Parts: sequence; structure tokens; C-alpha cells
Amino acid sequence: MAGVDRRTVFKGAGGAAALGLSAVALRYGFNTPDQKQDPSTLVAKDRSAQDKTLVFSNWPEYIDEDDGKYVSTLTQFERETGISVRYTPDVNDNNEFFAKVKNQLGSGTSSKRDLFALTDWMAARMIQVGWIQKLDAAKVPNLHANIIDSLKSPAWDPKRQYSAPWQSGLTGIAYNKAKVGEIKSFEELLTRKDLKGRISLLTEMRDTMGFLVMIGGGDPENFSDDEWQAAIDLLKKTRSDGQVRSFSGNEYVQDLASGNILACEAWSGDIANAGDENLVWVPPEEGIMIWADNMLVPNLATHQDNAEKWINYYYEPEVAAKLAAYNSYICPVKGAQAAMEKVDPDQVDNELIFPTDKTLSQTHRFMALDEATMRTYEGDYADVTGA
Amino acid sequence: MTSTAGVPPVSTDDTTAAKPRGRKLTGYWLILPGAVWLLLFFVIPFYSLVASSLFDPKGSVLTGYEMTWHVGNYVDAFNQYKGQLGRSLLYAGLATLTCLVVGYVLAYAIAFKAGRWKNLMLVLVIAPFFTSFLLRTLSWKLILADDGWVVGVAQAIHLTDVLNIIGLTTTDDRLLATPFAVIAGLTYNFLPFMVLPLYASLEKVDIRLIEAAGDLYASPMRGFFKVTFPLSLPGVVAGTLLTFIPAAGDYVNAQLLGSTNTKMIGNSIQSLFTTQGDYATAGALSVILMVIIVAAVMAYVRTAGTEELV
Amino acid sequence: MSQVHEGAAAPSGAHARGADGSRDLRLTGLTKEYATFTAVKSLDLVVPQGEFFALLGPSGCGKTTTLRMVAGLDTPTSGTIHLGDTEITFEKPYRRPVNTVFQNYALFPHLNIAKNVAFGLERRGIKNTRQQVADMLELVELTSQAHKKPTQMSGGQQQRVALARALINKPEVLLLDEPLGALDLKLRRGMQLELKRIQTEVGLTFVHVTHDQEEAMTMADTIAVMNQGVIEQMGAPSELYENPRTTFVANFLGQSNLIAGEIEGRDGDHVKVRVQGAVASVPGDRAHSDSGKGWLGIRPEKVLIAEAGTPIDAPGDVITGGYVTDVSFVGVSTQYSVMMPWGQELTVFEQNTGARSMLPVGTKVDISWRPEFAFLLDASQDAKAGIEDD
Repeated sequence: MAGVDRRTVFKGAGGAAALGLSAVALRYGFNTPDQKQDPSTLVAKDRSAQDKTLVFSNWPEYIDEDDGKYVSTLTQFERETGISVRYTPDVNDNNEFFAKVKNQLGSGTSSKRDLFALTDWMAARMIQVGWIQKLDAAKVPNLHANIIDSLKSPAWDPKRQYSAPWQSGLTGIAYNKAKVGEIKSFEELLTRKDLKGRISLLTEMRDTMGFLVMIGGGDPENFSDDEWQAAIDLLKKTRSDGQVRSFSGNEYVQDLASGNILACEAWSGDIANAGDENLVWVPPEEGIMIWADNMLVPNLATHQDNAEKWINYYYEPEVAAKLAAYNSYICPVKGAQAAMEKVDPDQVDNELIFPTDKTLSQTHRFMALDEATMRTYEGDYADVTGA
Repeated sequence: MTSTAGVPPVSTDDTTAAKPRGRKLTGYWLILPGAVWLLLFFVIPFYSLVASSLFDPKGSVLTGYEMTWHVGNYVDAFNQYKGQLGRSLLYAGLATLTCLVVGYVLAYAIAFKAGRWKNLMLVLVIAPFFTSFLLRTLSWKLILADDGWVVGVAQAIHLTDVLNIIGLTTTDDRLLATPFAVIAGLTYNFLPFMVLPLYASLEKVDIRLIEAAGDLYASPMRGFFKVTFPLSLPGVVAGTLLTFIPAAGDYVNAQLLGSTNTKMIGNSIQSLFTTQGDYATAGALSVILMVIIVAAVMAYVRTAGTEELV
Repeated sequence: MSQVHEGAAAPSGAHARGADGSRDLRLTGLTKEYATFTAVKSLDLVVPQGEFFALLGPSGCGKTTTLRMVAGLDTPTSGTIHLGDTEITFEKPYRRPVNTVFQNYALFPHLNIAKNVAFGLERRGIKNTRQQVADMLELVELTSQAHKKPTQMSGGQQQRVALARALINKPEVLLLDEPLGALDLKLRRGMQLELKRIQTEVGLTFVHVTHDQEEAMTMADTIAVMNQGVIEQMGAPSELYENPRTTFVANFLGQSNLIAGEIEGRDGDHVKVRVQGAVASVPGDRAHSDSGKGWLGIRPEKVLIAEAGTPIDAPGDVITGGYVTDVSFVGVSTQYSVMMPWGQELTVFEQNTGARSMLPVGTKVDISWRPEFAFLLDASQDAKAGIEDD
């Protein structure tokens, strides 16, 4: 120990210990576990009978509300069943909500919710990893009897055993008819010279890429890697030609109305709700992307029975018609159009709520992606959108 | 930075061994709240970030990630996103510079010329904070709209042409969805962070020093550059840091006001974390950004000669 | 140190001289009005070139405002300021051949001592300032501190830096605004001598603003006593002290006993005053009133005191009937308060020559003074003017 005093030794040892501890913490402290669960082992004891409540997380502004004499569908449900509903509009974004419940559902604990509504691809993802309980078909007869054909059997839940669409929507093209001539196809949107630099596309990969796959002749529900690559290349070229001004989340309506963009990829409900008669939504010739937000019962939900009552209730045509009249999204329930005669006769022929059979026959869904493919595709897409 | 957590502020001289044990420990007790705070809000998140930057990239959110010292993430992340990195630093730098010029004039006016309006003006500087960051940024979409009067005026005075030539806008004679709009948005959003520290240090400048400079043959202009400005340097340094650091990591302005060609590193990190679920690359990119900023800040502070700040 | 002065020949030659070739500082009818009060009222003043001039007065008397107008930091409401024949009333401060040593020094905290001192030269575009800075630092004995920052120095050192920073510019007039105010007493005494030495060496006009009468008397060639915006009296320190013209000067500069009296009139070279039954005569040049009521003034150290009945070595009348009410021993002298029969307390300083022991409180005493030391003031003035509360 000549020349080295005690303190130096302590310091050296302390430093080494801190370094070692850091390394161990880094190596083992922050790994993320496999999130797969087996839903059959995560069934909670159902307390629906003694505890008449239901906890439902949904997107904001997605349900009708009591207004003077008008009795909302929710209030009516509570009156009919005696179940009190804790309705929370806390789903703002699929990824954000996923992050919110990931730690509980991924580790096999309760998310403290009985029901939530998520878009197709996120619903598919959660079902895939076993976070979602099977619905009892006998308790939701209306669902199976009344769901419209185009939503009946998505690839990720072909028999609607796990999910029930809340509302549905179409993705197509919108343009400002005061400023630009009619646009018929998605290809036109991407190539017409008078639209150069004046269009926007959606940041949602599945919506946009569905159309690009279709332009290349592929089927969005079932395409090959080559077809994907061709679609991405086409998008890249469109972008480098300066055709696309921006990729937007949901602020495109403002841009379209103010003339910053002339046309864009758009959700039917947004245009219907914008209330601007210059804004026109059209189904592209290549086909239409259809999506739905699906009600799902998570593992360890304690009021599954009540949730099923709720689902069954909303698949009654009159109830569905009331909801659709408020929302202006596409109603997933057969017979609602007829029931609309009584609810709001003006809306019976609204094609943004009740698309024609011809329109519905042209709809496509995006195929279910496994985790690795999803990441590749999202990565490819982010490269083009610049993020 | 982390080492300060472990150093007790008391002397642990060997000769004091006879001291009562309680008193020796007092120092440790005193730093405990600070240490816990640092641990919870800095050390753990920082370790978590570093760990995720070294995750095996083959993992995923659902199948789980494992830390395997995969240093390659850094190389991949840097190579793939160097464009966005460079752009972020450039935009943040330009926005900081604009903030400095605009903010200095404003802070100077408030500190020396505002008189009894001083407090009102300070409130006005902070007033934008009463509305949400997102709303404020979105409102710039209306102000800079293609058919709006701002663009009209900019075209009339050929500002758009000038901006085109220096590459801040595109050839379409618009302002939105261009680098200009993103930099303008950053400048607008972070201006108060520049003005307040500048004001604080200008306000402290002794007016008598400026008089002394005048007495010693310095014209008002020379006096400003030789006395007022050097004395406000702590404010300049604090202001530029408070502006540059968050601006470099910002993604809202690029998302709302920019286009595909103006995405900043914040957008990439956000997309990697949430949409793509690629924690490894996202982590590596975050650490890279952090290292670049810390290095830049240290170099800057050293040049500015205000080491006391660090 | 003379080399500094050799270099200093330049500035005075560079400017137009007055009619008699001098570069006197002349203030004419100088007035400064603020919204609520007048700080300086029609001030006329000539400061001869090369003089150490003190502006003395209590705080708020307008002396600092006057100084700031000369420096160009404040603009006069009316009146003019001349340096020789050049009018500088509205000249920008940075264009005046005038420099200031500020009250709190106002040293630039971001610059070291050498750079502070070189500041003025550099602003005037002088390239090689090194030698001049070195000379100046040597003059104020701070050569070894050249690379320190002002905050690393003591008050006295900072004061000398401020002086050097101003002097290096060889201004025609150097203004000093309470330059020693922030120093402790001992340091202040030292610096007073130092300042005087430097002024003598460089030979510049110094205008020194202070409220400290002792400081003014120690250093100045001429003192102007200012009160409420006007100059009460101006002259050499001894003249002001020995022959004050107003009660304010009599009280502000040292102490005075002012005794009410009736002026009986002029009698040759003297003015006769009836004071409490006795008649005193005051030399004509010391009588600043010659009719009606007056204040007879006598400085405490000029009053002689003795136990009642013992003879006093003075040619004037002896006033009897007083008794001692208070005694303070201050080393070189003893200060007595004596209650006179007419109910006024007079102050008497007596040198401790050791000829007699101290007179205890209650002792009956007689007092007297030499008539030529007395002065006579107009009774319309407040006898307490200029007495500082502390």
C-alpha cells in the first residue's frame, strides 16, 4: 500500500462497485418481459349480478348525450337494465391507450376496465397476444344477427368471437369543390398536376398503404412483400415529386377548408361532421378502406356479463339508429336504416351513415400483421413520411 | 453529473473519528431528499433510456426486449437518422438565433424603456402560456395559411422569393409546410424562455455602469457592446440554452407546421417509440441527441466564458 | 511619477483657451428643475483651472445634480456650462473632456483592472495603451493587481482603480462624486491625503462633491457650501471656517455658538452688539449685518473658560453667572456645556494643556473670548440651519 492512502483505495473500490452496479442494473433492471397472456387463465369471477356497474373506455365525442327531452342511448340502457355505466372518453390514440394498459394487461393483471373500443389493427394486436376475453355468443345474439356483412368477418377475428364494432368509417378522398375539379381515384390524387404540393395523406399507415397497394393491383387484406415494396416505392416517388404537402393526423379538415390543401385522403365521418358544403368525400375508384372501432372485453374484467348486455343493446336497430344520427359515422348494424325512419327521417338516405351496398361491396380491410412485420412496415412508412 | 449524488457534503477526515456518530451522519440525512429526487427523476429514467438503447433490436413491445449490450443500435440509429439530427440542430439553432435577436430587443426595452409598463409587458410575454402549446401552434396554421394575408404580404414584398433563394421555403410561394414555418413556430413557442432570463440579467445591469461608459468616451452604441451586452451574457447563455435544448427535441412544430421534408429528430423518436414500437433505435437516438446537446452546451458555455452556470 | 504629467500636456492644449488663456470651468445661471422640486437654482460658479474645488453640502442640496450636469449625465433646465470659451452645456457626455469618479466607483465587473483603466483610452481609439495603463497603476500603487477583477479588491483599492480609470484620460476637469463615502474612517483619511497628492502631481482641475466638511477642508483649495440648490458661501477653507456669512455655514462647517443680540450700529472698524447686557464689538469685515437683531457667533474653541472669579486672559468682556452642565473628555481637548444666566447652553472646547484640572459639572464659571474672533449674522436666519441631526 506504499504511496496509496486509504481514501484513494476506498474511492477506487467505490468507483468499481458503482460501475459494476450500473452494469448489472443496465443488464437486468430494464428488460421488458414477454407480454403474451393466456386469456383462458385470466377470467375474473363475474360480479355483474351483485355489482350492477360497467366501466367503458371510449374515444371522445363518440356517443349521444341527454339533451332536454332527448334521452340518450346510455341513459336508456341504464333505465332498462339498472346497470350504472362509468363511461370514460379516455381513448385519444390507439398507441397511447396501448401504452396506458400495457403494463397491466401484459403482466396478467387487471386494467380496471370492463370494456374499451380500439381500432381494428390495435384490436387485432391485443387479441393476438391474448389480452382479450371471448364474448359469450349466446349473450350477444343481436351482434351476430345484425352486424353488417362487410364487417362480419375480419381476418383477425373471423367469427367476431372477441370483438364488436362500435362505429365504423370509410377512408377515401375528400376535396374542396370550390377550388378544384372532381377527383375520382386515389391515383389521380397522387398524380394530377393541378394538385401538386396541395394534397395531404394520413399518418395512419394502414389507411394510406391500403390505397397504394390497391393502385398496384394488390389486395390490402392479402398482399405479398413485393407488392408492399412496390407500394412503398410508389409513395416515395409521389413524395419526391413534391405531390404531397404533408402527412397529417386529424388536422387535415382545417387545411382543406382554408385552402392550404385542395384534396386529401380523408375519413368519411370527419367530412360529414365538418358541415362545410364545399368539402366533398368520395369513394376512390380503386376501392375504399373500411375500419371500425371495436368494443373489447379485457382479461380479468369483472363485469363481462354487463358488458355483453351493453353490446347486445347497441346492436338493437333503434338504438344503433339513434347513435348513428348523433355520430354520423357508419352504422355497423343492419336494420338501423329502417329504424332511422322513426329516429330522424332526414338521415335515412345519408350515405355517410348508411353506405349503399355497392359502396360497401368495394370496401377493403388492411390485413392483420404480426409484430415483426408491423414494425417493418411502420418503419418503411415512417421513412417516407419523414419521421 | 450523477456522481454528485454520492458525495456527502461533510468532511470525513479520519481524525474526526471520535465525533459522535449522529453528527457525522447529519450531512447524509441532509442530502437525502435531493438524492432521492435525483434518483427518481434523473438516474432511473436515464438508466432506463441507456438500457433500452442497448436492447436487442430483434425484440418487440409484445415479445419483450432484452438488454444485450447491442452497441450497434447507435451506429444504425445514427446512420439512418443523421438527416433529421442535422436538421433538428440547424432549425433549433436558427430559431435560437432569431429568438436571441428578437428577445434581446424586447428584454432591453422592458428592462430600460418600459417604465411603469414593465410589469404589464412581462405579463404579456408570459401570456401565451395561458393557452395550450398545441393550440398556439395550430393557430399559426391559420395565420400562415396559403390564402391568408401574411402570405399575400410576404409575396408582395418578395419575402417569399428571398426565403426561396436561401432555401427556407419551397418554390410554391407559400410559408406553411416549409422550414420557414417550422423555424418560425419554434421561435414563437420558445421566445419567452429567451426573454425572461435576458430580462433578468439586463434588469440587474447597473445603470451607473452605462453612465460610466458614457463618461469614458463610449458612445451609446459602443457602451452597449462593451458594457451592457457583456454584462447580460449570463442571460444570453441561459436564454439560448433554455431555447435551444427544448427546440432541438421538439416535434410538435415540425408535425403541425412542417412537411415531410422538415421532420425533426423529435418526430423520429416519437414515431419509433409509439408507432413503430422500436425501443432500441428510439433509445439509441435519444441518447445520441442528448450527448450531442450536452457536448454543444459545454462547448458553448466554455466559449461564452460563463463557467459559473454549469 | 512625473512622466504621467508630461504625457498630460496634450489635452489642455487641444482645446480653445478662455479670454485669459485659461480653461476655467464656468457655470452660469445653471438651473435644474424636476417635476416636483428645483434641485439647482440659477447657480453661478467659476472653478479656476488646476484647482482642487469642493462642493460641500448635505444630501439633497443639489451638489450631485450640479456635478452630473457638468459630466453631461443630466441636462440643465437653463443656464450654461463653459470650459474656457467652449460651451459644453448640451455636449454628449462621451464628447466632453471631463471624467468622473463615481460614488460607488462603477467599475466594470466583467473587465480586469488593467482593462477598466484602459477603457477610456480604447474608446478614443488609442491603440497602444499598455505603457499608460502601467504608469497609471503605478501612480495609484496597484501595479500588482492589474489582472484582478474589481470584485476581488477591497473598497480602497476599487476607489483607486476608479481614480486611475478617470485620470488616465487626462481630463480637463475631474469630477469626484463622494469618492470616499464608502470607505471606513481610517482608510478615508489615508485616501484624502493620497487624492491631494495625486491632484498636486497631475495638476488637473478637481471638482469634489462631498457632504463631509472635514474631508472638504482637508483637501480643497476652495470650498463652495451648497444648500437647497444655491451656494451659501464660497472661499478658502480657513476663510469659510473663520468667517461664515450664514448660520448654515456657521453650523455645517464645524460648530458655532450663536447668541441673540441687538446691533447697536457701526463704530469705525467695528460693529457694536448688545448681548445679554454686555456690549461686544465685532470687526467690520466679520459683521454681516449692521442693524436690528443679530446673531453673535463664536466658535467653541475660541471661548475661554475659568472658574468663577479667576481671571481670564482675554481682552473682551467677561460674562459671568454660568455653570457647567456637561463635561466630555476627548483626549486633546475637553468639551464643556455651560448654562448661561439667560438660559442658553454654550459649547466650549478647551485644550488640555494641563495648566488646570477639569472643571466638574456644577462648577460656577466665567467665560470670555477675543472680540476679533466673533462674527455677526443677520437674525432673520434660523439659528439651527445646517445642524445635522446625527
